[in-house]
Amino acid sequence: MEKEILEHGLNFNRRRFLSRLSLGLGSAALGSLLIPDLFSGNGMDEDGLTPGIPHFAPKAKRVIYLFQNGAPSQQELFDYKPKLREMMGQEIPPSVRGTQRLTGMTANQKQFPLVGSFVDFKQYGQSRAWVSDLFPYTAKIVDDLCIVKSMFTEAINHDPALTFLQTGSQQGNRPSMGSWLSYGLGNENKNLPNFTVLLSRGIGNGQGVYSKLWSNGFLDSIHQGVQFSKGEDPVLYLRDPDGMNRQDRRDMLDNLAQLNDLSYQEFGDPEITAKVKQYEMAYRMQTAVPEVMDLSKEPDDIIKLYGPDCLVPGTFAANCLLARKLSENGVRFVQLYHQGWDQHGNLPFEIAKQAKDVDQASAALVTDLKQRGLLDETLVIWGGEFGRTSYTQGKLTKDNYGRDHHPRCFTIWMAGGGIKPGIVYGETDEMGYNIVKDPVHVHDFQATVLNQMGLNHEKLIFKHLGRRYRLTDVSGKVVHDIIA
Amino acid sequence: MNKRLIGLAEQALFAATIFILFLLLFNDRFVVPLWLQPLGRMHPLLLHFPIVILLLAMIMEAFRFRIAKTANPAVSEFYRDFLSGLLLIGALSAGVTVIMGLFLSKEDGYSGQALLWHKWTGVGIFFLASLVYWIRNKRWYNARIAQVGALTTVIFLIGAGHYGATLTHGDNFLFEPLSSQFKPEPVSLDKALVYANVIQPIFEQKCISCHNPDKLKGQLNLASVEAMLKGGKTGKLFVAGKPDVSLLLQRIHLPLDEKKHMPPSGKTQLTPQEMTLLALWVKENADVKKRVIDLPANDSLRFIATGLFKPSEQVEEFDFDAADEETVKSLNNDYRTVAPLAKESPALAVNLYNKAAFTAEKITELSPVKQQIVYLNLNKMPVKDADLKRVSEFDNLQKLDLNFTDITGAGLGDLTSLKQLQMLSLAGTSVTFEALQKQLGAFKQLKTLAVWNTGLTTAQIAQLQKSNKGIQFIAGFDGASSEPIKLNPPQVKNSSTIFGQSLVLQLKHPIKGVQIRYTTDGTEPDSIHSSVFNGQTVLTQPTLVKAKAYKTGWFGSNVATFDFYKSSLKPDSVNLLMPLNPVHQADGAHTFFDGRLGTFNANSPAWANNWAGFRKNDMALVSEFKKPITVSSVALRVMVEEETSIFPPSVVEVWGGSSRDQMKLLGTLKPEQPTKKIPPILKAVECRFKPQTVSFLKIIAKPVKQIPDWHPNKGNNALLLVDEVFIN
Repeated sequence: MEKEILEHGLNFNRRRFLSRLSLGLGSAALGSLLIPDLFSGNGMDEDGLTPGIPHFAPKAKRVIYLFQNGAPSQQELFDYKPKLREMMGQEIPPSVRGTQRLTGMTANQKQFPLVGSFVDFKQYGQSRAWVSDLFPYTAKIVDDLCIVKSMFTEAINHDPALTFLQTGSQQGNRPSMGSWLSYGLGNENKNLPNFTVLLSRGIGNGQGVYSKLWSNGFLDSIHQGVQFSKGEDPVLYLRDPDGMNRQDRRDMLDNLAQLNDLSYQEFGDPEITAKVKQYEMAYRMQTAVPEVMDLSKEPDDIIKLYGPDCLVPGTFAANCLLARKLSENGVRFVQLYHQGWDQHGNLPFEIAKQAKDVDQASAALVTDLKQRGLLDETLVIWGGEFGRTSYTQGKLTKDNYGRDHHPRCFTIWMAGGGIKPGIVYGETDEMGYNIVKDPVHVHDFQATVLNQMGLNHEKLIFKHLGRRYRLTDVSGKVVHDIIA
Repeated sequence: MNKRLIGLAEQALFAATIFILFLLLFNDRFVVPLWLQPLGRMHPLLLHFPIVILLLAMIMEAFRFRIAKTANPAVSEFYRDFLSGLLLIGALSAGVTVIMGLFLSKEDGYSGQALLWHKWTGVGIFFLASLVYWIRNKRWYNARIAQVGALTTVIFLIGAGHYGATLTHGDNFLFEPLSSQFKPEPVSLDKALVYANVIQPIFEQKCISCHNPDKLKGQLNLASVEAMLKGGKTGKLFVAGKPDVSLLLQRIHLPLDEKKHMPPSGKTQLTPQEMTLLALWVKENADVKKRVIDLPANDSLRFIATGLFKPSEQVEEFDFDAADEETVKSLNNDYRTVAPLAKESPALAVNLYNKAAFTAEKITELSPVKQQIVYLNLNKMPVKDADLKRVSEFDNLQKLDLNFTDITGAGLGDLTSLKQLQMLSLAGTSVTFEALQKQLGAFKQLKTLAVWNTGLTTAQIAQLQKSNKGIQFIAGFDGASSEPIKLNPPQVKNSSTIFGQSLVLQLKHPIKGVQIRYTTDGTEPDSIHSSVFNGQTVLTQPTLVKAKAYKTGWFGSNVATFDFYKSSLKPDSVNLLMPLNPVHQADGAHTFFDGRLGTFNANSPAWANNWAGFRKNDMALVSEFKKPITVSSVALRVMVEEETSIFPPSVVEVWGGSSRDQMKLLGTLKPEQPTKKIPPILKAVECRFKPQTVSFLKIIAKPVKQIPDWHPNKGNNALLLVDEVFIN
């Protein structure tokens, strides 16, 4: 018996052994320092956090993030700058441009002529917010939106900027926002993954999305984003092979779980239990997913609301409708990526089509959640990874131009989830190049999203390789001004 | 100092005294000529000299007698002469400054208490300094008088400086950074007044530093309501209800470089939101008493103003105790989650999922925590009317989601016992108007009711709204009465658009009840003449199908075009005699008969898969048929995208024979080449010839060697892309 215990100890995985050891030592050290929290703490771990329960009463229970991959041009959609039209073709003043780092695509450009939007803007709703003519449906719901015109980021190229927005770091390997929420809040519906991902592609110049964007990083792999794809098998490898019935599957899983349990007894690796949980989840998903993915019962009103494309799998409209269904079924974080917003050239032609692709369905999602009484507990976010320049990339002709990447300011909108409706937050200068009021850093944005979900971004911590990690890294302030 | 110079300065000082007395006496009667105004405006520049010089001189004056007593004679003499000169220069510069100041004060926009104080303390400095200068060598002048005189002058200096600063920088300039730290708590929305908390703060931030009782630029004072209503020199600020003709709005909307634009360029400008607020306020009769929440709920001014106030942060307190942790844990299972709203919150939220797993027991089982449940989600569960009785036990329930359940509304009466219920969602149920009309009145606390997608008509909802004013009805999106939108085009259901002998045409549309009309002759289908698709159409020849979708209440779709290709003869083996373009390898020789078609974007790796490409050499494909075949047509499906230099072949030759070595030319084809910029197309180029019986077939297709002159890439090799070959 003694021998077995010894072997068990030896077989303990190194990192787990060390982390347990350090926890023990750490507690002892803390105890000796008479930290009051140590004695008043009721079942918290060393970071004062019980994963799986919000830190305070949440405003939002779920997030739907309509990510516009490639960076939509704010000048043509939300950030109305008549001055740019007036100054069409004039060089951007050096005082405005400052020492902004440029991408390799325009760094060698000799001239930086300003270019105004080819499309007109109007004011809408009670909030009198300016919206471009490219977004007729979004314009109708501005009173439900909080339009933030003063987002800024640190990265200047797509991949780092996307990774930064989703994981809080420009390099990969950190957990994505959805994974953090899954870790912090636990499941609402145990039959579906907490974090799902839906991809679509517009006609415009596209940029890749990679699975690292929905990676669980160093968190338990149960928090990984699950991609739902179009076609007959929305979740790959979920369907039983021909000839296998549900009871056989159950028996197989039970036996497998017994074997895994033996393995866990022996090695004590928590990944083994995570794996068993995933098998069980997959088993339940076999019935839950078809129920969620079934669009055939959606009434005509809904199809008209989202537009007829919502029944064509793989389109943005279909993904919006699915996002609503998943969210309604308790999926904490539904992440959409719509590609094709990278208009370095040929912008007027491409952006019009891109806008048409997403406008109706984005607005429909907000309307639909509202009519189901779900908008106040669902946070909808719409936006890209950075903005686009006020000057043209490449040649400026009478009716054609392009815009390069611009991290200094961009526009996103949020709706529901306890965010103030019908407001426009932040301002850019009259050339739409620099923020002049209420800047919102990516980490501020992330802190705000976590806050709405009932999580304190400074307390949502995971210790990994000796360091405590947060989604907001070491900065970020909740933007209280946009919270209702 | 030169005696003569001193004499001159003393005379100037005397003259200044007389002149100042004159200006003060006739203050109201003299007018500063235009050319003298710049002199007046140099007041703020010059005033720093007398301040510094007189401060130094007065400190020295205070210690004058002590120095005379203690220091050695040489030092003492220098001290006396230096001080005397300093005092004279100080008094004289003070005089000039005062004269300039008096000129400046005649200009527009200076009045009020601060000006008065500044004026008299300033004049006081001059007279005091002059006095000290004239009397300081009298015999009765002693140390005590010197100290008193010096101190008084310094006090006047500080006073004049302070009031002068108030005039230029505004009141409380000095302590503003400190006082802003201790701003009073912002008003909450329910107390906020339209004028005092929305409009007045705009004036305070952007206007009042010039338009206050002390500065009064343009005779306008925005510091108090009465003064604001009075207007300024040009007239009243606004015509109530008419923002278009109101002075206030005209001034703020003038172009920035216009002289009359307010605030003047260089000062902080109004934000667009502030401009909108001012316009809306004037439009709504510029009321100065109303509260924000007195405005109608859909009022723009209220809407924007609401965003400015923080509702008092209300953390909800519950007066019940938390349920036992173990009990909560035991109620959780795969299809039901029971979780606290937040850490340390006693309140619980309950969600039920999976229709198949639902029984009414799932609700009853919750009775150990019936006090704690504040949120219950039964969305899509087959809940019956009778089950609501079980729900009615949850005394503290605030939000109940019954969307898409099987209730009819008959059991709603059971829920009236829920005194905390604020939100009830009944969307997608068969709840009836009668049931609601009868029972809604008993829901005292209910704030929101979702009845979208029920049998209720708009009129019925309006009627319910009328009798239940406290409840917000969510009627949702009404597709039937909204503007029609366009259908999306039909799609092909056949697994491939390439067929052997014949094919039953299968078209589909994702929306139910859509009628598909189509043509096979290349003409545009319409909603009247074209055939209705019924699944009976059989294609035996290569066909261009055009189809549109129609449905009542929708606009017809755009036309969808489908090319159906016939490929009746498949070779038993194929091989290429010359290599493929390295980028477009596809599946080698098999590409041409694999039944898979390519799409546009062939230069992007993911879409290049089905395209075999040739640039440097011809396409030379030999196919072998074990059984001789009779052939009369060979077609190549190619891409034409002149923008990326993808052209159709210049020549297609078809050779055939009974053996590999004995083949003769069966036919040639010179496909039409693009002669100008055209949008990209995919098409089949077909070479027809007299029917022949062959066992071997060789197809040669030559890429365009020299791109024609109209093209930017002229003279270079064009790329030839082929994804399929059809032999018939």
